[in-house]
Amino acid sequence: MKWFRGRSLVDVVGIGLVLAVAVFSLVLLVAPSIIVVVISFDTRAYVTFPPAGFTLRWYKAVFEHGELVEAMLNSLQVGLTVTVLCIVLGVPTALACVRGRFRGTTALSVFVLVPHMVPGIVLGVAVLFAGALVGVSPSIWLQSISITVFIVAVMVRTVQSRLMRLDPALEEAAANLRATPFQSLRTVTFPLLMPAILAGAVFTFVEGFDNLSVAIFTHGFRDRPLPVELLALVQYTSSPIVAAVSGVQIVLAIAALVVVSTSIGLDKVNE
Amino acid sequence: MMQGPAGPSNTVETTAPVLGIGAVGKRFGATRVLQNFTLEVAEGEIVTLLGPSGCGKTTLLRCVAGFWEPNGGTIEIDGQDIVDVPVNRRPVGVVFQSYALFPHLTVARNVGYALRMRNRPRAEVAQRVASVLETVSLTGFENRYPSQLSGGQQQRVAIARVLVMEPRVLLLDEPFNALDAKLRGAMQVELRQLIKRLGLTSIFVTHDQEEALTMSDRIAVMSGGKIEQVASPDEIFDRPATAYVADFIGVSNFWETQAETGHVRLPDGQTVMTDLTGGVKVMTRPHNLRLGPPEAGPWKGTVSFHRNVGPLIEYHVEASDGNVIRVSAMRQERDRPVKDRSQVSLSVIDPASCSVYPG
Amino acid sequence: MAEAAIHRRITPPGFGEQVADALLSGRGIWPAVPAIVVLTVVAVIPFAILLSLGFSDFEISRGAIVSQTFSLAHLTNALTDPLYWITFQRSMNLALSTTALCLLLGYPVAYLFLTGGRWTKRLILVLTIAPLLTSGIVRTYAWLVILGGRGVLNSALLQTGLIDQALRIMNTHWAVLIGMVQIHLPVMILPLIAVMSRHDSRLVEASENLGASRIGTLRTVILPLSVPGIGTGSALVFTLTYTTFVVPQILGGGNYLNAATMIYEQVVFSLEWSKGSVSSLILMVTCLIVLVAIALLTNHFTKWTKGHDA
Repeated sequence: MKWFRGRSLVDVVGIGLVLAVAVFSLVLLVAPSIIVVVISFDTRAYVTFPPAGFTLRWYKAVFEHGELVEAMLNSLQVGLTVTVLCIVLGVPTALACVRGRFRGTTALSVFVLVPHMVPGIVLGVAVLFAGALVGVSPSIWLQSISITVFIVAVMVRTVQSRLMRLDPALEEAAANLRATPFQSLRTVTFPLLMPAILAGAVFTFVEGFDNLSVAIFTHGFRDRPLPVELLALVQYTSSPIVAAVSGVQIVLAIAALVVVSTSIGLDKVNE
Repeated sequence: MMQGPAGPSNTVETTAPVLGIGAVGKRFGATRVLQNFTLEVAEGEIVTLLGPSGCGKTTLLRCVAGFWEPNGGTIEIDGQDIVDVPVNRRPVGVVFQSYALFPHLTVARNVGYALRMRNRPRAEVAQRVASVLETVSLTGFENRYPSQLSGGQQQRVAIARVLVMEPRVLLLDEPFNALDAKLRGAMQVELRQLIKRLGLTSIFVTHDQEEALTMSDRIAVMSGGKIEQVASPDEIFDRPATAYVADFIGVSNFWETQAETGHVRLPDGQTVMTDLTGGVKVMTRPHNLRLGPPEAGPWKGTVSFHRNVGPLIEYHVEASDGNVIRVSAMRQERDRPVKDRSQVSLSVIDPASCSVYPG
Repeated sequence: MAEAAIHRRITPPGFGEQVADALLSGRGIWPAVPAIVVLTVVAVIPFAILLSLGFSDFEISRGAIVSQTFSLAHLTNALTDPLYWITFQRSMNLALSTTALCLLLGYPVAYLFLTGGRWTKRLILVLTIAPLLTSGIVRTYAWLVILGGRGVLNSALLQTGLIDQALRIMNTHWAVLIGMVQIHLPVMILPLIAVMSRHDSRLVEASENLGASRIGTLRTVILPLSVPGIGTGSALVFTLTYTTFVVPQILGGGNYLNAATMIYEQVVFSLEWSKGSVSSLILMVTCLIVLVAIALLTNHFTKWTKGHDA
């Protein structure tokens, strides 16, 4: 290997070891998902390996499983509600944090982060108890607003980092070209923020759809969201139906990944 | 400077100024960036604010545009104070250093932006955009995005975008910075001709003296938030008012000496008239000096370095008093340049072209 | 004629326009007001209530709190109960060992990202971001499939004859640990990558040009510079693993009690809300202590590198 030519033994062994661990980790990241997808096409009714044949019956079963379908629809509703709330609350907050001319812009960005830093389970318990104190019982709406509070920081951060990289001269140019502050926001700032909002929307939707730690304490008794339903299913059954749900989720994740990478680029996710 | 003004001072006297800046000050915390800044710009005049970075030139431009609010003083356009007028209602157009073209809008939509913000009818917008694009020779580029244009084309879009709203005052903030050296010279001439043709009253900000000499009717040399001298490019170059201006513009030779009654004696024996007494600084440009054989005069030196600068040769001469004097001479093919390390004598060609400053 | 046009252009805006512009300009705090209100009502006040419930006796009737009096009884009960000590210790051990293992497995990936080409970088990003877009339960389920009695691992080992009896991994500490590490690995890798891509890759080239070996460069240049990423990654992984109940619940088979599963039992099943609030408070405070420790350590090591550079 060209990579190792002319290097000392210690270097070759050391870097070789580091790279071996890296490859192991990458395989570790992806292998379980591949195994689950393979299992989801297995003909046998109990989870085992290697698969005995190919069938789509578990995928069909997912959509015939009434509770599962209902849970998916519930989670879909939560995901969409969370996304809309995060856009409505988060984008203006990001604007205030970056463009604000008042004292405490830093304090504001920290304040928004606090609920995200607190363990989700503690937030869930706190909301449940506070609701009990004032007579608000768990429901799909309580769940949605709680997850929003938990995840809105992600939207704020994504939009904030994009805003900070925008050339401030663009908004000055708009003002110079006769735009009122609102016109400038609508015609210049907002369109340029769109990719960041889209990426933020993907992440907040996924959180709304998949969150368990907050949801398990705040979801409505009759409106069980998908993660709660799945937790029960995983604990009490061993049919590949969960594998099929996983397969569906993996496909959705890949779609989300494509949206994110074309809107802001994968390397920007991480800032 | 083919179309330089006949006499800039005349224009100021005969017509009321379009832009009047009176005693403007600007502080950031404890730092005073502008102090008691006063300047008038006449109809159709291009005034350049020239100075090193941090001298307050951009601050003044941003105060006129309305991005920053001055801490005192007046800014008047056609006699009306605009300090309290919001940015988007000032009849002022800004060409930004980075151009600040809207990356998500096409050339046509960038140029029509100001008109759409004023809700002009669609037909009028289209017609005016087309005519402005023709003015800057960008017809045919309507549907390109800024990222698909060259630097020079982007600059022309930035100019077209402010021209379309027919501003009373045009502000240009180092508009050539983003261009490469070769294009810069051509764009300077092109832009000056365009502004002059349209008769736009302009303030141009730069730290580049060549740009200033090319673009301006008058140059205001700034230092530390104050104006050192405002005058035509010729006057700034030939008669710098202060040692600072002389040092900042062009290449200059200084030497310190004592003034006698009414005059100063130059090292080569000639004299320059002056009203100053005591210690003074005398300045002259390299082209006002001449090299001769060592026995030709009393001011002797050794050539330490020479180089070709286009049609000129620039010599560095270490004079016997220790000063390094810079001399330029036309390059002539017949004569060989004076060699390094050779002994020479120096003389001033025209003593009247020397400037004398208090020491 | 020009005169009139100009004066029309310089008129100041009317009062209504001024108000509208002030509201819509985004210069003031007001765009953040809705978020501030919601966060206060749904997070700050609930935290305060949780805190007050930890220090009081209260009665619940039909899912609503009906009376509340100050009391330290629940807090002292919890602090003297050995079950609490064992559970929180187990959570702490699990979280710390998971964090350490994630760092051990994740750091080489970040190194590969730093030294790798365009496609390597892309692949690493896809493999680390994609899991974050799928549910934790789905990813935990995969381990159920792999580690189960007749799972992938056992079938493979039995078929190759390496073992003659199925290994019992499921429902043990090891199953929980393996699942925890794999699921939280991306959370460690992403901050490491973020820090690494912030540094000039020429630093590495300079180091090698100065005669350092690759390992030497890793140890003396890359590692000290990536300390902030190690800090962020560790803090994130610790918080998540210390407070998660998905993995212990599924892979621990319901008899692996950590702090989070205990709170879940207390609040959802046995309806001991006073215990639940005390447990939540202890969880939050202990979590915060470790986070502060991580922050101090990170600070210490970045200070050291700064001093070293100067």
